[in-house]
Amino acid sequence: MVRRKIVAATGCPTGIAHTFMAAESLKKAAEEMDIDIKVETHGQVGIENGLTEEEIREADGVIVAADKDVNTERFHGKRLVEVPVARGIRDPKTLIKQIVNEEASIHHVKGHTVKTETDDSKKDKIESVSKGKKNIIHSIYKNLMNGVSHMLPFVVGGGVLIAISFLFGIHSADPNHETYNEFAAFLNKTGGLAFSLMVPILAAFIAESIAKRPGMVVGFIGGLLANDGGAGFLGGIIAGFAAGYIIILLQLLLKKLPQSLNGLKSIFLYPLLGIFLIGVVMTPLMVPVQELNTSMMEFLSNIQSTNPLLLGIVVGAMSGFDMGGPFNKAAYLTGTALLAEGNLYFMAGVSAACIAPPLIIAFATVFFRRYFTKEEQNAGLVNFVLGSTHITEGAIPFAAKNPIVVIPIIMLGSSIAAVLTYMFGVQVPAPHGGFLVLPVVTGAIKWVFSILVGSLVGAVIYGLYRKKIANNLPVEE
Amino acid sequence: MKKMIQPEFIQLYATASSQRGVFQVIADIAIENNIASSADEVVKGLQERESQSTTGFQDGFAIPHTQSEAITKPAIVIVRTETGIDWESFDDKPAFFFLSLLIPKEEAGTTHLQALSSLSRVLMDNHARQKFLDAQTNEELAELVEQAITSREDN
Repeated sequence: MVRRKIVAATGCPTGIAHTFMAAESLKKAAEEMDIDIKVETHGQVGIENGLTEEEIREADGVIVAADKDVNTERFHGKRLVEVPVARGIRDPKTLIKQIVNEEASIHHVKGHTVKTETDDSKKDKIESVSKGKKNIIHSIYKNLMNGVSHMLPFVVGGGVLIAISFLFGIHSADPNHETYNEFAAFLNKTGGLAFSLMVPILAAFIAESIAKRPGMVVGFIGGLLANDGGAGFLGGIIAGFAAGYIIILLQLLLKKLPQSLNGLKSIFLYPLLGIFLIGVVMTPLMVPVQELNTSMMEFLSNIQSTNPLLLGIVVGAMSGFDMGGPFNKAAYLTGTALLAEGNLYFMAGVSAACIAPPLIIAFATVFFRRYFTKEEQNAGLVNFVLGSTHITEGAIPFAAKNPIVVIPIIMLGSSIAAVLTYMFGVQVPAPHGGFLVLPVVTGAIKWVFSILVGSLVGAVIYGLYRKKIANNLPVEE
Repeated sequence: MKKMIQPEFIQLYATASSQRGVFQVIADIAIENNIASSADEVVKGLQERESQSTTGFQDGFAIPHTQSEAITKPAIVIVRTETGIDWESFDDKPAFFFLSLLIPKEEAGTTHLQALSSLSRVLMDNHARQKFLDAQTNEELAELVEQAITSREDN
């Protein structure tokens, strides 16, 4: 992974303390964020660690945290964040993010402005081409993270509301059921609405990270299409990236249009063409998803009576793979269908495999606390609630950050839970509700045991993985 | 070079409960140890600096500092108060751990200034701050600060 480079200059009137505190604070923050930084200090002893022209040229952006002049003319044409020295001490990460996320505006010095248009666009082009190659992995991660962090509150808020509604009885939101409760139905509906926005928000903000606001619009629609088509969060990730690059493509294609049409482009052409194109891309993708769904359900019904080990692995892997996507749904729907036919065994495994993923996350954030951010630790605790109530989606924000590694871990944990459940011959007569249905479960203790074993194994592996990528260092104090 | 930090420059259980009070304690220590010729000038200098922008940063730490003709030799004076004092710190927490940097007006050499800048850098480190907080005696704390200003890590 090629590192981003930032240069910075700090200074304060006395030049004794704050100049250096800001410099240190920026350096520490950059280190944590895996970014190269060089900080020039304008202290009382003069300028130390001065920036060279070359370093400025190669930098992705410039941070100036100073209450005195630090000669910003040098930074003409660079992304520049200029703040008082105190912000540099207090809030270094935000400043760095403004450069990394390309939110900071380009610094223009009067007198240079005449030739900037052509100069900058040329330079930008060269930079983006060479950067594009080097930073692909980093930028994919960055884009994913942007989507995940915006999605998280929807998952947490919506998930907990749904979980609370289950407390009134797992059918309490169904007007035709005897346990119907108006307030529970309201909670369930509101939470469900927040949940249904999860995938669109994920897609929207992946695309926003790639192509700013025009991307967000198109990503949102792409995410809605993925959601409607039952493609789950993996579909949402695809939609987000597709949407972002559709806008990048449109920007290239529309480059030749005269400058005077710039306003028209962003308010009319990008949304119109972008939304049309994301529809064209996503719609055909959804057809195989649905076919996949049907054929998987047939497949599952056919193997329902094979040996518990095989069945458990298949059910666990499917449930854990996309958590609410087509594979998970196929397993779940097969479970409800078989339940209607009187097979209480099959559903027990599906439920176990659906309960395990959030618990894997929850246990990992407790046992390996140091390697998760504060935000993740809090979301991790919520996952205890979501897991206990069979709301698999709680694990999605964690899985989406690094699907290639995290999903197999979750699949393994879910499989263990399902295999054990089938081996014990647990019977679960309810299609949802998690541990709230324990009173009607036959073999409740064995069932909980199976789920805990699967969750703990997954949690330990996931925790060790987090420890490794954090280089054994705590993420936050 | 004479040590800028000595156990005598430290007061760990000061009773001051206002900004003015803290500055007075710092100034008194400076007078007692021949760091400055006028306590009033030191207080005035610290107040002036404070009025430009707060020197408090986080977790109760603040670094009031001044450069004044009344200061005769560069020194670090440390005062730790029993109660927290509002210092408009970045995290809105009251300050109680004051590392005061006193610098003569005509400080020619850069050595002392560099030492102070490395102390400022060290203070941004959570572990280092914790160590400072954990120090039980003047000697212990003086030793820690001494380490901080002599182990200048270069960029």
